[in-house]
Amino acid sequence: MRAELRGSTPGHVSVPDPNPFDTPHGSLSGALKGCLGSLDGAGIEKLLLHCATAVEANDATLVQQVMWVLNNIASSHGDPNQRLTSWFLRALVTRASQFCPTAIPSATTGLTRARPMTATELVGYVDLTPWHRFGFTAANGAILKMVQGRRKVHVLDFSIYYCMQWPTLIDALSGRPEGPPLLRITMPSARPSVPPHLNVSTEEIGLKLANFAKSRDVPLEFHVVKATWSCSSDALNGHSNFLQEFASCLLDPSSLGLREGEALVVNCQSWLRYLPEGSGRATDDLSSRDAFMELIHRLNPCLVTVTDEDADLDSARLTSRIMSCFNYLWIPFDALETFLPKDSPQRLAYEADIGQKIENIIGFEGEERMERLESGARFSQRMTRAGFESFPFDEETVSEVKLLVDEHASAWGLKREEDTLVLTWKGHNSVFTTAWVPSGYDG
Amino acid sequence: MMELENSSVMTVSNSGSGEASVSSSGHLQPSALQNTDPPPPPIPVVKKKRNLPGTPDPEAEVIALSPKTLMATNRFVCEICNKGFQRDQNLQLHRRGHNLPWKLRQRTGKEVRKRVYVCPETSCVHHDPSRALGDLTGIKKHFCRKHGEKKWKCDKCSKKYAVQSDWKAHSKVCGTREYRCDCGTLFSRRDSFITHRAFCDALAEESAKTGAKPQAADGKAAATQDGAAAAAAGQDAIAATAETAPAAVMAAALPPQQVTPLERQEPEKPTALLQYMPPLSASLANTSGVTTTSNSSSSSSSSSSTSLFASLFASATAATAAGHGTATLSDLMGAMGQVDRPFVEPPSLCLATNGRPAPLFSPQAQGHDRRPFAPPPPSPHMSATALLQKAAQMGSAATGSSFLRGFGLDAAPSGQQESLQDSSLRWGHHHHAQQQQSETEPSPMLTAGLGLGLPYEPDLMMGSSQLFGPKPATLDFLGLGMGPVGGTPNGGLSALMTSIGGGGLNMGPGTATGGRVGSERKPTSPAIR
Repeated sequence: MRAELRGSTPGHVSVPDPNPFDTPHGSLSGALKGCLGSLDGAGIEKLLLHCATAVEANDATLVQQVMWVLNNIASSHGDPNQRLTSWFLRALVTRASQFCPTAIPSATTGLTRARPMTATELVGYVDLTPWHRFGFTAANGAILKMVQGRRKVHVLDFSIYYCMQWPTLIDALSGRPEGPPLLRITMPSARPSVPPHLNVSTEEIGLKLANFAKSRDVPLEFHVVKATWSCSSDALNGHSNFLQEFASCLLDPSSLGLREGEALVVNCQSWLRYLPEGSGRATDDLSSRDAFMELIHRLNPCLVTVTDEDADLDSARLTSRIMSCFNYLWIPFDALETFLPKDSPQRLAYEADIGQKIENIIGFEGEERMERLESGARFSQRMTRAGFESFPFDEETVSEVKLLVDEHASAWGLKREEDTLVLTWKGHNSVFTTAWVPSGYDG
Repeated sequence: MMELENSSVMTVSNSGSGEASVSSSGHLQPSALQNTDPPPPPIPVVKKKRNLPGTPDPEAEVIALSPKTLMATNRFVCEICNKGFQRDQNLQLHRRGHNLPWKLRQRTGKEVRKRVYVCPETSCVHHDPSRALGDLTGIKKHFCRKHGEKKWKCDKCSKKYAVQSDWKAHSKVCGTREYRCDCGTLFSRRDSFITHRAFCDALAEESAKTGAKPQAADGKAAATQDGAAAAAAGQDAIAATAETAPAAVMAAALPPQQVTPLERQEPEKPTALLQYMPPLSASLANTSGVTTTSNSSSSSSSSSSTSLFASLFASATAATAAGHGTATLSDLMGAMGQVDRPFVEPPSLCLATNGRPAPLFSPQAQGHDRRPFAPPPPSPHMSATALLQKAAQMGSAATGSSFLRGFGLDAAPSGQQESLQDSSLRWGHHHHAQQQQSETEPSPMLTAGLGLGLPYEPDLMMGSSQLFGPKPATLDFLGLGMGPVGGTPNGGLSALMTSIGGGGLNMGPGTATGGRVGSERKPTSPAIR
């Protein structure tokens, strides 16, 4: 959606005589007639688009000029628009610098990596806003419902959040009237190289989780599937490393350690966006989204939970991506603004992580552009094509989610779109969460 | 229904009345709050379609309510006559009087023409129709919370709220429900508490004390061949054994000493909600050599003393860089890399100083790193056209200072378009102070005449040594115009300015700007000379 601000200009400013800005290419005096408007979101967006166009067109002078303007707007400690602008500008600089044909390490190599967090810091991170726990709570609710009465539950966890979702599930399972099941949680060792970054390994997280489960008398087996193909630590082309490693984790489904009689649950949290669209033939490219879903389908899980951000940020056109990013990622910036001070380190860190996402979406192409988010609507169509039916969240889960949302700032809201739950900020969609069962599932 | 379309054209008087609303249709074009009498908009086709994520429906009607309406305590307001009600049921009953379709609790499922609301505060992000809020209650709450006076204060903590319901909701939970972890951290929500507890070292310590009793998990998996792997995996996860064998880690298999590694993290401090981080791991510290002491502070390599944008925008510091002569593109890219996170580090998430030494992020280090705690920069309410004009002139003069020169350009004065892919790298040279020529004193009278009244920032282009540091006011509109501008290759920029200045950046006629810069809609002075 483009906001066309066609406000009529109120007064005419007569600009007499040699306007030093008149150029052979066009008169800037016309611009003066617009009088002194303020730079709002739409204006910034326009500037960003112009900058991107100039970068693509190799127009160095224009790029510099627009970047100069943007730089004067941008500020990491300013209001949300300014902060957002600063990250977009940085992404555009990254993009512009792609032209440089030297052996300089790419801008994302370690340089953008913030100090990794401890596990407890990550807990605080995911709880800053309902953004993450929204999906956790909904998915756990669906899982609880689906595995009622089952003695063995096996969760395949594909998530970038390092098991932050599971303590509450473990806690809920421990309180089951029929007693807790044997719970197995399996994750791939491969993880996309994106924030949030933890300072401990997945295995260590598993240790802690297991410890916690023990304290709740829930038998837990935690299992990390190692890749059969190990990647180099070369961060260049890091994402294709991830994809290959990930594919190799799944190559042999027996490495997942599935067992008879267990209720298999597949959980995807902010994960599918990192799998490429694929070549169209799902069987060719094991790591593509469709291939992944096909594989999952073949495993015959009793439930597949999928949560991700509700926006289309994967357009092939840079300008579209800038627009959609700008018109979506203002949400977390705006949300943080409402309750954290301008120089809050938590806020800055969180925003920087979003900035890294922006940088990837706008600064890179091809394999390096690993963030390929598609909205809930498109994703749902994909799941249907892959042979899944949506599984509605039960009322108890919905109430729990609502309770969560209500405990945060009042601008957060919950919306239902058929069987999808959507977290909204001031009415705008932010995160969607869904649950699916294979069509014709019999378990 | 929808008589609203026909009757909605209320001529809005000046701010005197205060109770005004005007709606418009079409492409989210907001109407002004005053002095317009647009013809009735055509009745739109009501399409029920799913909104694009993150954006209001472009077919939606944009409504701009007055501050007084928004601050009114009646949460439920009739869109027709602005009468307010305490309860939705009452509003719905009232709406019947307007012959509007009314609905009580149950939604009818049919969608009427969607309305979105913009905030009347021009500097607010929600003033922009593309960021309009979807419901009336939302915009009221937003306005009260953001722009209203925060007059509700919690007794127990010191949080302030502008909206009474938010305050009430907070007061209910403040201090009542508290979950306390053994490490001393308090939580008001159970799920956060549970999650924290799972990963908190306090739990590990407790387990270590009681000893990890082997538990019969489902029998067979307990101590299989994986058992040994588990022990190893626990210690040194990644390297492991298992390129091939999956490493199974089980609670039961954990020997007590396994929990010891968990203790190597620093013990919790009661006051810190989140843990402080020990020194950066080596891998991080290695990047570019220095991660935090960036920019203006000491750095080993010459060019890293300036950020990428310092070179771009700042002649003085650029001259410094140039002076070293050895500055190469790689240095500057390195500098750029260093720029990126100085202010972010520490993302220490440490809410209380716990006296722990912060090796890299000590206050001293922070001090000369940046000026983040200096007065925050103003909102971007400066004139876009002003900035663009300045940029235009800068572009013409900055023949040598483009960072993109590093990509092989030589911005000749005639300034034809250059390829970014020239092979010759002339980065590091030619960082003239040509940009500076335009930065001489402003004409105070013109400044005043334009009502900018902003502090002159002589360091406009030299001072911002950090890409993302706060910028001082940058509105020296009149810094321009000193140097003659000739033959500027401003084709692109002209078009840009025209497209933006021609209305794209305006919020519509007559919108009050509340005393901020730019409130003067009609600059009285002639063009810059």
